[in-house]
Amino acid sequence: MTAKRPGAMAGTASGSMVRELVYVACAVACIAALGLTFSDPFIVTLAGYTCAFALFALSINVILGGVGEVPLGQCLFFGVGSYGVAIGMGKLGLPFEVAVLAALVLSVVWAAIIGAITLRLTGAYFSIVSWGLTGVAMVAANNLDDITGGPLGLFGFPPIKVGPLELSDPQTYFMVTAFILLAAILFLVAVRRSPFGAAMESVRQNPHLARSVGVDVARVRLKAFLLSAPLAALAGALSVPYTQIVTPEVFNVANTVDGLLMVLLGGARLIIGPVIGAGMFTLIPQVMNLDPNVRILVFSSIIILIMMFAPGGLHQLGLALRDRFGRKKDVHGS
Amino acid sequence: MELFVQTLVNGLVLGAGYAVIAVGLTLIFGIVGIANFAHGAFFAMGGYASYLLTARGLNYFVAVPLAALIVVAIGAFIEWAIIRRSLYGDSHHGSLIVTFALGQAGVAGLILLFGPDPLPVTSPLGQSTMRFLGIFVTSQRAFIFICSIVVLGALGLWLQLSVKGQQVIAVAQNARGALYSGIDVPWIRTIAFVLGVGAAGLAGALLAPISTIFPTMGHGALIVGFTVVILGGMGSIPGAMFGALLIGVANALFETYVSVSWTPALGWGLVIATLLFRPQGLLGRVQQHRH
Repeated sequence: MTAKRPGAMAGTASGSMVRELVYVACAVACIAALGLTFSDPFIVTLAGYTCAFALFALSINVILGGVGEVPLGQCLFFGVGSYGVAIGMGKLGLPFEVAVLAALVLSVVWAAIIGAITLRLTGAYFSIVSWGLTGVAMVAANNLDDITGGPLGLFGFPPIKVGPLELSDPQTYFMVTAFILLAAILFLVAVRRSPFGAAMESVRQNPHLARSVGVDVARVRLKAFLLSAPLAALAGALSVPYTQIVTPEVFNVANTVDGLLMVLLGGARLIIGPVIGAGMFTLIPQVMNLDPNVRILVFSSIIILIMMFAPGGLHQLGLALRDRFGRKKDVHGS
Repeated sequence: MELFVQTLVNGLVLGAGYAVIAVGLTLIFGIVGIANFAHGAFFAMGGYASYLLTARGLNYFVAVPLAALIVVAIGAFIEWAIIRRSLYGDSHHGSLIVTFALGQAGVAGLILLFGPDPLPVTSPLGQSTMRFLGIFVTSQRAFIFICSIVVLGALGLWLQLSVKGQQVIAVAQNARGALYSGIDVPWIRTIAFVLGVGAAGLAGALLAPISTIFPTMGHGALIVGFTVVILGGMGSIPGAMFGALLIGVANALFETYVSVSWTPALGWGLVIATLLFRPQGLLGRVQQHRH
């Protein structure tokens, strides 16, 4: 039963198992090859940061693609991750790993508190109030000088290490973030195939119907929220080696918007959609040397067009093309 | 006592400005059924339109209504090109994302056209102040206050007394019933969207001389607008006016007596409390599930 569930990445169990192992092996080989061959520190660091930000996009997609709400406040947890590392390392002198762990735990606690308030709401209300809470977080970060360093933020951290790995080295940074991203993707695939994944899908498609067949909708939504928070916090924590500074601006909604654009570009129905979107979102402007505002203008326009003509993202366009060329229709995107 | 009354008056004047923004937002939510995240961009466009017109030597008082008309025209085009095609369907979060992306694109477009720096809009009222029973109000703020009352009053009369206005109210109460009784619902929605957006443009033009204009000036307006609208009850026009005055006064009191730097968090605190204890808003009616 499990293998046939719509939304799982591939068809039957035995054949797909091998194929998926090949995918993972390919991904590992690609990461290793990229990490070892590219030496331009700027590009490699940017790639590492892209991987970190892709984690954030994955977190947004747990809510958007998972339960069907638009999480405009997700950068709150990103900020908890960033500030967790910055405060943990800079003020308390903890090692990076411990600080990250503490930040993850803290993000789950916050998610439980915030989720209890915001998840009663749906649609625009949920989005607006989550957004509002990031506004409160930004005001707090600006005002609690003793803890957050106020508007100037926190900077000047000791060298960031994971075990023996120096994250200040661009190639190491890229490899670490890329492998963490890969692990997160595999984890989310497993979640999607679990009974909880099926419950989440039913809630997204029709909460009333889901409730009628015995799915505890509120519980599923809260679980999804609790799952998304540490992903975003991890993204925030892993972005610190790149940014080297944490300011109240991490709570800016523009941060969430970037992640949201990535998800919508790649398509919310596909687990690696946000990762593809993240790659496009950072690489295309880099290659074409776009002004940041041109980038926002272009990508926002693309999003409007996508929402008007292909609400499933580029992934849906790809599927439509594939169908047109007569190949077997997949079960994606109900 | 003098300080308290002055603060109260400041809050009411501030709230009158918010009311114009929030009424537009609540009109669009009530009639079109979307939370217009692009509202802030239209607000900024109103500011920029008034800047362009006054920079050409036009009198500010003439420029304000013209700026609102320009925003109405832009809004009508966007309604025709995008909103009508993508949002009246049943896609649950589509409208939210489209209007959000529209807002982002609008702000980015303004930055590319005019640069990120603030630009001044000069009003003939300048920095002069008026004194009334010992209370000081700058003339520009008094002008905003009067304009808001005139515009909101006219809107209220139009809704109550004209046939079109009654049709708008009918669509807000029950779109399907309105359709069955022969009301051209798509046309009413277009009117509501364009009017709502025009109100945002008007507010932008009115506030421009006080705040100067900059591309992201709409962010604050949008946030305030949403807090007001949720507080008053989404889709409720009297609620939006009441909520605006309430938030204006609360902000002014909080700034004077508690803390300036924590004031931006106050509106959200009120919103969260409202949603927890009275989810339909202070004057809203309980909404049926719309989707």
